Amino acid sequence: MSSRTDFSRDKSFLIDMTKCTGCRGCQVACKQWNQLKAEETTFFSGEGYQNPPAMSEHTFTRIKFRDYQKNGQNEFAFYKEMCMHCNDPACASVCPVGAFRKTAEGPVVYEDKKCIGCRFCMVACPFGVPKYQWSKAFPLVRKCTGCYSRVKEGIKPACATACPTAITYGPREEMIKEAERRLADHPDRYLPKVYGKEEAGGTSVIYLTALPFNELGFKPVTMRALPSYTWQALRLVPGIFLGVGGTLSAVSWIQHRKERIRKEEEEACAGKDAACCAPTDDHKEEKP
Amino acid sequence: MTAARFVINEIQSYHRFIKFLMVLVGAAAVASAIRFIFGLGATTNLNDTYPWGLWISFDVVTAVPLAAGAFTLGVVAHVFHIKKLEPLVRPAIVTGFLGYSLVCIGLLLDLGQPQRGMYVLFPWNWNVHSPMFEVSMCVMAYTTVLTLEFLHPVSERFGWHIPLRLLRNLSVPFAIVAAMISTLHQSTLGTFFLIAVDKLHSLWYNPLLPLQFWLSAIFCGLSIVIFEASLVHRYMGQPNESELLSTLTKVIPWVMGAYILVKLFALTTLTDGPLFDRPFLTLLFAIEVIVGVLVPFRMFLNRRIRTDKAMQLRAASLVIFGLVLNRFNVSMFGMIQPDQQIYFPSLLESVVTIGIIAAHILFFVLLAKYFPIFEHHPEAVDSTIPDRIRKIGEHEAHGKVSEA
Repeated sequence: MSSRTDFSRDKSFLIDMTKCTGCRGCQVACKQWNQLKAEETTFFSGEGYQNPPAMSEHTFTRIKFRDYQKNGQNEFAFYKEMCMHCNDPACASVCPVGAFRKTAEGPVVYEDKKCIGCRFCMVACPFGVPKYQWSKAFPLVRKCTGCYSRVKEGIKPACATACPTAITYGPREEMIKEAERRLADHPDRYLPKVYGKEEAGGTSVIYLTALPFNELGFKPVTMRALPSYTWQALRLVPGIFLGVGGTLSAVSWIQHRKERIRKEEEEACAGKDAACCAPTDDHKEEKP
Repeated sequence: MTAARFVINEIQSYHRFIKFLMVLVGAAAVASAIRFIFGLGATTNLNDTYPWGLWISFDVVTAVPLAAGAFTLGVVAHVFHIKKLEPLVRPAIVTGFLGYSLVCIGLLLDLGQPQRGMYVLFPWNWNVHSPMFEVSMCVMAYTTVLTLEFLHPVSERFGWHIPLRLLRNLSVPFAIVAAMISTLHQSTLGTFFLIAVDKLHSLWYNPLLPLQFWLSAIFCGLSIVIFEASLVHRYMGQPNESELLSTLTKVIPWVMGAYILVKLFALTTLTDGPLFDRPFLTLLFAIEVIVGVLVPFRMFLNRRIRTDKAMQLRAASLVIFGLVLNRFNVSMFGMIQPDQQIYFPSLLESVVTIGIIAAHILFFVLLAKYFPIFEHHPEAVDSTIPDRIRKIGEHEAHGKVSEA
């Protein structure tokens, strides 16, 4: 969908989940910067300690908790849920009015003035990021903006600024290099995988974890850019359109001609004059 | 007698069933008003897990192939020039026109910002990578074509001679354009779900989904024509057309056969991921394929069944059932993840969808009552037009055919 092929300079998040303390400063900073309403929730309303229970129109990012045992000790593992700012975003490819856009800086932004509210972006997103304003009569989509307004001015996103330990922010190429360096330096500490390097065709949010990704709540995703799945069908559209038109026109011409010839023969047999305009008709139609 | 009095008398003379349909449509109109006042969140069971529900699954994804009768019959009767099918064409066009108009209404109801629906048309918003863009453009274009085709009985009714002459000569180009546009959007409805790579279950997810949607729309469209003609014969006192319909039942097994081959090929070679890991989905798939495809396929292969009026209707009904289930499997059941809550449409959503179905039947019956839908006899009408004008019209029409 996006015409770019080089994403190495895109501003990206490197989120090292092993360094996350679960303070949720990022959640608070996100709410403050985006002026999002607090949600009334109860503890343990979701799958565990996390609160609010899910991302929503009021919550663009969220720390998910998972407790597990290590050397007989109870431990916590975390996962920061947010928009992945894909290199080739599914949301942007399916939007009928082009309300989503991958910016040159990296964040995928949503222009709410264009949105007609079809919610295809929500169906298409492999990470389940776009959320809808179900509370409103004329709702719009809400999602993490990658703090585009800050990034444009050269400031780091709110969550990356607030995070004391886990989030590094910078060009994608450097973030991947840094992630790979950490994996090489401490193979005992990490699962040997840089999540986001290839997931969904590559994203601007890159994760390192200690636990398997599915245990932390990461959704299973394809390694191909999602828009390529629909494009392999849609690219055939002009050809099919003209092909069907051409074929049916030819069939129609042949069938009508057959009919006319049959009629003329019948008339000739009956000893009547053939329709006077028939020969000119033939002549005219053989040209195309 | 005043006009109002006349209308009231007229309505009072309707059959009880028609009055019942009117109540259903009225209820749906009230429900739609409530939906616009309070918003989608308050009135539907949609949520962030199920952004699409009954209205997309039925009113759009299912209703579009159910309205495919107009274009399929148009191709068979006008492009392949099988003139004897002419009596079936007009009812099919009216059904298609109603179907697509109601699809437009259904889409507008489901949009969060319906007042911005027109934004899709603005060139600076165009996104050719979006299946939704293509479907909305095609649906708008095809609804326009169907409206023009529908003007035919309307002009006849009111004796508008000039539009009548024009429309008569345009019937072939219209049939071709209708087939072009329908091919695109019927298949693209399948492309919708190609983006749901890790969401739609492997029983339905494969790259040939658009081709399957197109093929099934064709045999479903023909079945709808059979279904409708049989019901109209049974309940509206129209002549028995089962002999004409047997022309269509000869075509259907070919298309169904192609569909079965494509589906088999896609399932065996183009699918990755486990197929039969979830019993409920396996059951739905089995019902869809066996009851909705294989059984009617076998029935249509049998010459005696193919020409029998009661059996035609039964086989066509099975095909329609299979198609509805297939579209729900793809757009709803197959998209449910193992650990997800289950979506069930709210009362208001159901009332609206029932109202849309009722509106379709109601308007069809009323149109048939006041417009020449069934009494169409091309040979009789032709003679009323002066020869001089007809010839000029014919030349124009032929020119258009070769352009298209």
